[in-house]
Amino acid sequence: MDTPENENTAEETATEIATEPTPEEKKICMETVYAIMDSFPSRSRRYLIPMMSKIQDKFRFLPEDVIKVVMKELKITRAEIYGVISFYHQFRTTEPGKYIYKLCYGTACFVKGAPIIADKLKEKFNMGQGETDATKLFTLEFASCLGNCGAAPMAIIGDDTYGTIDPEKTIEIANNYTL
Amino acid sequence: MSTVVKKAINFTLNGEPVTAPEGTVILDAAKRKGVFISNLCSSPKLKPFAACRTCMVETVVDGKKELVYSCTHPVSEGMEVKTETEETDRYNKACLEMLLVEHPLDCPICDKSGVCPLQDNTDALSLYNGRFEIQRRNEPSIKTNPIIEFYLNRCIMCGMCVRICDETQGVQALDYHKRGYKISIGTANEEPLDCEFCGQCVTICPTGALMDLTSQARGLASMFTETETTCNFCSWGCTIKLETKKGQLVRIEGDETFDVGINEGNLCAKGRFGHGMVQNENRLQTPLMNVGGEFKEIGWDEAIRTISERITTTVNRSGPESLAAIGGETLTNEENFLFQKLYREVIGSNQVTNLNHLRAPYINTFQQQCIDSGIVSKPITELEEADVVLMFNTDIPSEYPVAGNSIRKGAIYTGTDILIANPRNVEFRHESRMEVRMTYKPESDAAVANRISRILIEKNLIDTAKAQATLPNYDAFVQSLAKYTSQYTEEATGVSDATLIQAAERLGRNADRFILIGNDVVETGQGEAILSALLNMSLLLHIGGEGSVNIYPPREHCNSQGVNDMGMVPETLPGYQPTHLNQKNLVADLWKNCSQGAIKMLFIAGEDPCHSGKHASMVRDGLQTVPFLVVQDMYMTETARMADIILPTSSYAEKEGTFTNMSRHVQRVAPAVLPEGQSRPDFEIFGDLAQALGKPFTHTSVREVQKEIENAAPSYKGTFPGKKSAQWIPTESGSQPEFAIVEEEAVETSSQDYPMKLITNNHMFHIGSYSHYAKALVDIGPECVAEISYEDSQSMNINSGDTIRIKSETDFLDVPVTVTDRTPPGVVYLPKNWVNVPVNKLRNGHQGLIPVSINKQG
Repeated sequence: MDTPENENTAEETATEIATEPTPEEKKICMETVYAIMDSFPSRSRRYLIPMMSKIQDKFRFLPEDVIKVVMKELKITRAEIYGVISFYHQFRTTEPGKYIYKLCYGTACFVKGAPIIADKLKEKFNMGQGETDATKLFTLEFASCLGNCGAAPMAIIGDDTYGTIDPEKTIEIANNYTL
Repeated sequence: MSTVVKKAINFTLNGEPVTAPEGTVILDAAKRKGVFISNLCSSPKLKPFAACRTCMVETVVDGKKELVYSCTHPVSEGMEVKTETEETDRYNKACLEMLLVEHPLDCPICDKSGVCPLQDNTDALSLYNGRFEIQRRNEPSIKTNPIIEFYLNRCIMCGMCVRICDETQGVQALDYHKRGYKISIGTANEEPLDCEFCGQCVTICPTGALMDLTSQARGLASMFTETETTCNFCSWGCTIKLETKKGQLVRIEGDETFDVGINEGNLCAKGRFGHGMVQNENRLQTPLMNVGGEFKEIGWDEAIRTISERITTTVNRSGPESLAAIGGETLTNEENFLFQKLYREVIGSNQVTNLNHLRAPYINTFQQQCIDSGIVSKPITELEEADVVLMFNTDIPSEYPVAGNSIRKGAIYTGTDILIANPRNVEFRHESRMEVRMTYKPESDAAVANRISRILIEKNLIDTAKAQATLPNYDAFVQSLAKYTSQYTEEATGVSDATLIQAAERLGRNADRFILIGNDVVETGQGEAILSALLNMSLLLHIGGEGSVNIYPPREHCNSQGVNDMGMVPETLPGYQPTHLNQKNLVADLWKNCSQGAIKMLFIAGEDPCHSGKHASMVRDGLQTVPFLVVQDMYMTETARMADIILPTSSYAEKEGTFTNMSRHVQRVAPAVLPEGQSRPDFEIFGDLAQALGKPFTHTSVREVQKEIENAAPSYKGTFPGKKSAQWIPTESGSQPEFAIVEEEAVETSSQDYPMKLITNNHMFHIGSYSHYAKALVDIGPECVAEISYEDSQSMNINSGDTIRIKSETDFLDVPVTVTDRTPPGVVYLPKNWVNVPVNKLRNGHQGLIPVSINKQG
């Protein structure tokens, strides 16, 4: 299991800042947001979606405080910004686990037992669709089709792809990942 | 009219030739022609949207056939439009049929039943037997706020509420959330609604997915009895529908019928949800007499007899001028007319006034000067066609919320440019391309207006030669502007000269200009200088500029205009005719004259000067000293508690008459319910008093009094009974165009002890102190909260939610505080509507903004 350690360090720092901000760290965190906003031609609502994508790339999700800053700077209301966030599934407002567990729920994988794997994951980590386990290691997402039907059922954990998995194998693979 | 003229387009509709202005969508053109096209999501107030997909029509342009949605497709030259063809019906039906799969048919308990576009369209398309399996949603209704209920099972995703909240109200509290099957309308994360509670979404919702929780009855709203009348809160004068069921006032709705009233069915929180003050258990039920400090219930006969006897004795003993009266800014024109008639003709006293006049007698002068200068001002219905609107020291969403609706509409459809001059950074969201914000230092209002005048002249933005030739005191006026150099003004107001130049340039261009002045100018203590400065600026534009200038005097309550028109002022008779009673003006200094004994009897109709008077201790002293005090009111106010006799009066929903709004529209007030308890309309009370005094009035009905008014005040001719909401036009105008040169008073420099300034005005959900009797308004605006700036909160270590003590020279108040960016540093903002937070005690006669200090409590 070679997890790309150094790539995750940056993400981890960002997460920590976003979750437990001391006043000083909070300031740094907001500076990042302002820097991202300034990388666009203007602080206009027309850049809302790319701005939020970039912010999410940095923080892995959209923390409430950051949303408030974006609302204020782009002069949009709470209902509007959440309207956009809830429209696009890739925007998250809660902190995800360290790894995104994308379980393929396409037709082939479904037939070959994806639901049983989902049940197993629920049993082991107590996480359903869109949920994060208690230790914040995984966030489970169901994907429509990941285009690897030949290896059904399959899943992508973080950046690694696993084909022809089964309930037992799932747990084994999952055990390779640690916080 | 806007200065841009639209081209006429000729096309045919079902074979008939039709003409419509360029840019009109097919649906609107057809509607005007009386041709029905099924649709669910279009409103003349909103931008085209095409969500429901049920308004398809067939068009042929240059021989090419096309199926288009009529609510978004504009007409074009030579277009042939066909409605209800076999093909379009098939499409329209299919879309509606799919909506009906989910929509619950709980019509008997739905507020929209009978006035439901979904019902109408289903019927119009003869959709009686659906082909699909019914799949109803069954989600619980959301009642997380006290006013508006969300029952989303009925929602058809037309987006009308989202759009009206955004385009008309500028609030954007609602939006679409999620997507696909899970799509819903609402607030972010279904949080409780936090908005202006205008309720526009409730009125516009075609299906009853949004409901009025304050309504006293559920379902079949079409069966309620509707009475069209005029709102009794602010002076904008919206037309409302009072809906009653079995003698109970159930709710208030806007009337969206074309050409009814001035507000296009738009209403604000007060107007829509303030009906709780009509049928209320706290209303005064019987006349009361103060017997040794306690109020004893008495009959009407006894009350009228006692008062008339007292009047006769007082007249005999101290002369008629020792009797004074305060007219009501919430009484109808007819009532105020009779009130002054009672005083002038029956009693023989000229000592009549009203609180608005008592506080700011210069407003009537300002109005007269405008008329004399030829600035008559158009009906306010044309505000939405303005090219430029200047909001001068008015927080529109709180003061005239419905004006905001018209301005926003203008910004979208006419391209209105918006100029905002205010000491506070007030919120006003709109879609205009141009907004100039002049956030000036408190009390420097006049300097802003005067500097704009100077720029207009200096930069030749207007025809100065013409102004000089027409206006007699032009040179004196130019001289009076000498001190407003760019440097001086920038220092005095804190607004950059570039901003003021921008504003002046916009005003100078050929345009229809509307200037709305807030009642806050009166609070500054410089009202006269500010109104004169604005008048002079308008006069320059009127004489030297192209287009029109429309400027309206600041008026606060529903009939603040009418009470003055009807002669409830010592200077003039109804219609501003000169008075013949040559008496000393004792009411100019009413409270002092009460205290010092010159006034022996005071009659107050529908006012609470104890709370709203600007000199709290003096008012109290005057009311306590005056030997005989009669108060007519709906409620036991603080003033009523000091009265010798209290007469219970009817509310606006229980009487007939007219109100005149701040732009002089005379509009009908009609009774919808029977008077509460033994209360009676002021109209009848004045009649009874005249009779008891031996000089009965000759009229027998409201209509006859209206005829009398027409004779006394010629400008009111043809405005009654007010159903058409016509504006009264002065019989004579433009006779004497002249600048009013009033020197600005020196602003007090802030003292060490009281370094901050207190700005106070009406809260968004309240007006005066009477809106507090409406439970719904208290539910949404429960607490008086002060506002301070972020900068001050930092330097004083105060956070939102803390309690602060606001201390002036005379008194102090403890109130919770919130930190906002609306309020500039050095300013505390406090709404004035709470009886338990008597802001005027802090003022106690102080003329300008009150110098205060604040510190954190506890």
